[in-house]
Amino acid sequence: MIEAVRSKVVGELEKIVGARYVSTNPADLYIYSQDMTQAEPGWPDAVALPKTVGEIQAIVKLANREKVPVIPYLAGGNIGGLTIPLRGGITLDLKRMDRILEVNDTDMYAVIEPGVTFGHMKACLEKHHPHFVYTYAFSPPSTGVMTNALLQGLDSLSYRYGAASSWVTGLEVVLPTGELVKIGSCAVSDGWQSLAPLPELAGLFLGWQGTTGIITKMAVSLWPKPKHSVQMTFLFMDFEGADKALKALARTRVPDDIISLSFAWAGQEAFVAQSHEKISPYPALPRKPDDPEIIVSVEITGNTREELDAKVGVIEEVARQELKGVRMVGPQSAPSTSAFFPMQMLGVLSSGGGLTWVGSYGPMSHWLEAIKEGCALQDKHGFTRTSYSRVMNEGHFVGLRWLLPYDKGDPVLVEKIKALCRDQMEMIIRHGFIPYKTPVSAIRQLEARADPEWTKLHRRVKEMLDPNNILNPGRWGAPPA
Amino acid sequence: MALNDVKEWLYGCSRCGTCKDILNIFVPACPSGEMYQLESYYPSGKIAVARAVSEGKLPLDNDDTRERIYACTGCLSCEQQCGVYHHQHIFEIIQAVRTEAVGQGLLNPAYMVMVESLKKDDNVFGKPKAERGDWARDLDLKDAGQEKVATVYHAGCMLSFDRELWNVPRSAVALLKAAGVDVGIMGAGESCCGGRAYEIGYVGEFTKYAEHFLETFNSLGAGRVVTSCSDGYSTFRKLYPRVNIEMKFEVRHTVEYLDELIKGGKLKLTKKVPMKVTYHDPCHLGRHLGDDGIYDAPREVLKAVPGLELVEMERHRENAWCCGAGAGVSQANPEFALWTAGERLKEARATGAGALVTACPWCERNFKDAAKEYGQDIEIYDIAEVACRAL
Ligand SMILES: Cc1cc2nc3c(=O)[nH]c(=O)nc-3n(C[C@H](O)[C@H](O)[C@@H](O)COP(=O)(O)OP(=O)(O)OC[C@H]3O[C@@H](n4cnc5c(N)ncnc54)[C@H](O)[C@@H]3O)c2cc1C
Ligand code: SF4
Ligand code: SF4
Repeated sequence: MIEAVRSKVVGELEKIVGARYVSTNPADLYIYSQDMTQAEPGWPDAVALPKTVGEIQAIVKLANREKVPVIPYLAGGNIGGLTIPLRGGITLDLKRMDRILEVNDTDMYAVIEPGVTFGHMKACLEKHHPHFVYTYAFSPPSTGVMTNALLQGLDSLSYRYGAASSWVTGLEVVLPTGELVKIGSCAVSDGWQSLAPLPELAGLFLGWQGTTGIITKMAVSLWPKPKHSVQMTFLFMDFEGADKALKALARTRVPDDIISLSFAWAGQEAFVAQSHEKISPYPALPRKPDDPEIIVSVEITGNTREELDAKVGVIEEVARQELKGVRMVGPQSAPSTSAFFPMQMLGVLSSGGGLTWVGSYGPMSHWLEAIKEGCALQDKHGFTRTSYSRVMNEGHFVGLRWLLPYDKGDPVLVEKIKALCRDQMEMIIRHGFIPYKTPVSAIRQLEARADPEWTKLHRRVKEMLDPNNILNPGRWGAPPA
Repeated sequence: MALNDVKEWLYGCSRCGTCKDILNIFVPACPSGEMYQLESYYPSGKIAVARAVSEGKLPLDNDDTRERIYACTGCLSCEQQCGVYHHQHIFEIIQAVRTEAVGQGLLNPAYMVMVESLKKDDNVFGKPKAERGDWARDLDLKDAGQEKVATVYHAGCMLSFDRELWNVPRSAVALLKAAGVDVGIMGAGESCCGGRAYEIGYVGEFTKYAEHFLETFNSLGAGRVVTSCSDGYSTFRKLYPRVNIEMKFEVRHTVEYLDELIKGGKLKLTKKVPMKVTYHDPCHLGRHLGDDGIYDAPREVLKAVPGLELVEMERHRENAWCCGAGAGVSQANPEFALWTAGERLKEARATGAGALVTACPWCERNFKDAAKEYGQDIEIYDIAEVACRAL
């Protein structure tokens, strides 16, 4: 931004939100210029922290007038470089808008502001609505409920209900041109219970990485909290066994959550939770020939002990009937760990400030080949296998990623990480998996493969909503540079 | 501690933000971040600044940048919440940047007054050294500098010079005497512990005070030093071992010693004190002592006061919200100090208590000021003041 525009914009921002909530201090700009990943830093010109919807509207109008980018931000924890300004501008830190505006007991939803974190949600429910539960990502407690839904996250109830955007039941949005619009039943009534039966305009905003509007309110589903829970764990000696199990377990429709983790890395995670020491997936840990390949954990809940026992019985029956001949240990029951969420995931945050991954959603039918090839790439690049999968929407698709925590102070390792990620990204796209929280380079790779009409439609939507291309520009719907 | 000494920890932080809130209850943990809201004020932001300074990406000659580093009360709540391998070194990293600034000659005017006063009068308030023992002038206490006593009561800078708080050391020595303790004071011969100098980056000044203190007290031959200042106490316990002089006496905080005296049957609290109080854990008596944090003793003393009802705030013990006065903040940034204390007073009022009781004069001073500033209707006491009413 040229200096004259910058000082004018900053002066107006200060009038809108108050001087103490605007910063052009280099320390702030430096911090907001990067995230945990290896993405290239990009500096904003200013940071502003609005408190009200009116302030956001005023900022967006100012940005439109001055043709200045605006990048919505909550905690920068997306692991995709999505809040790094690609063209400078104003980073709009939304953490001050942190109210849970309504918890509707009968219709089972909460209306939240953008700054409500997983931590806030859990605290509110436990204190005031203990009969409800929300669904949690493995992300730290400071990350957002709204951002997670906007980014179509994978959470602890995703096996049952799919990606996090599926439980959005209403939106209030500041459009890139400053108008305020409601979407869903809340647009035509007092209730925020559902997007149906209306044209699904929410799709103009969900999954768009803040490029088409700034969401100022969101309604999300809450679920009754079952009294009883248990975790069942299987250890599989090979990928084939795990593949068979995931598919069989998915079709029971019994669990709340089904995840898998490379055994080699699970040991490291357990170690760091106790020791609080530094760990690294590089160089690869030596692997013993009789070590299992993968752990699969299944979370099960029941309203009564009998219901829980019956569900456990179903899983045991599947293990007996459908996993005959599979080289495995288990299932073993242990107390559920989901009650601890959200929490600091030491296993992926203890390697030196860096965390990245190639994360994706794809078909269960291609999971086996993708996970095998992704782990083989880790072997080739000298990393410990760190695959992580979550079965989504009762097995209709699956989340797959390779956790890569790393030391940001080690430039050689950073280059190795970049090389591995490049190879894994190319590989998953080839297997029909689609990178989520999609980094900008992956967007370009997808666009190169996609039907040009698909890309054109994105650009038309973006242009229609954001004619001056101010919201998080350069990402989804970006016009050719 | 210089930036080079904390290099090992500089890259630990991923800016995951877990330290913004208290684990499990998810209410704010960091006064600095909570007040200013910009990422640079949170622990993770300060660590990022340290990293950038050490990599030469961010100069410290910008007043606003340094202000972010000084806007930290050293409460260590971040260290309590974070579980990553650097977590016990977060405040050290912040101090290292402060030391770096001092080393670069970038001095903060408010601290320069403090440091000059230390050099001239051995205290952080710019008060004449000769007035240091005035709080005890009419108490006829033994002068530990002149005659041997079993226990030296160390008042510290705040209790020595803040008249409004004189009831604290006076109550403390009254309780010790009631328990039959052979107690004396250093009076005008007492000097600062040096802890504040350390926290604001003046490591050289700190070392000077620590050496002086240890040499003087070792030569007195007293077996025990008791203090009501939690800042001073943690300086003796945690920082003095870094100086290469053996400590030949034990250091006890007043609450710790009172608890022992009560349990040993030497101190009897008999009169009814019908109060409903909440207890504020000073950071320097809790988190600063790590696994040795003193959380039970103050509560035990309060429970031993007949008729007194103790209620807890939501954030207590290891997770207590700071009073706001620490690490030089009350001197350099009173707005931040008072705001932090004001937040605590709101939490204290929410318990229904009529009084907030604590065990550190820095906390007490700041709470009293905040109660006045924000018109909060709550009384503020040190434990010794409350316990003394039961004699
Ligand atoms: C250790 C770790 C583990 C994780 N595990 C998971 C996991 O298991 N499942 C999962 O789904 N995710 C996971 N994530 C990442 C996940 O993206 C966070 O859960 C998510 O909530 C987003 O992070 P954030 O709140 O920091 O948002 P940010 O990163 O600040 O923002 C995310 C995106 O939303 C945009 N945005 C922000 N606010 C608005 C708004 N109001 N309107 C429009 N756009 C907006 C931003 O511009 C950006 O594009 C993990 C992250 C970490 C660090
Ligand atoms: S200090 Fe620890 S808890 Fe805080 S952001 Fe850094 S890693 Fe996370
Ligand atoms: S020591 Fe306290 S004020 Fe300083 S960064 Fe940590 S939590 Fe914040």
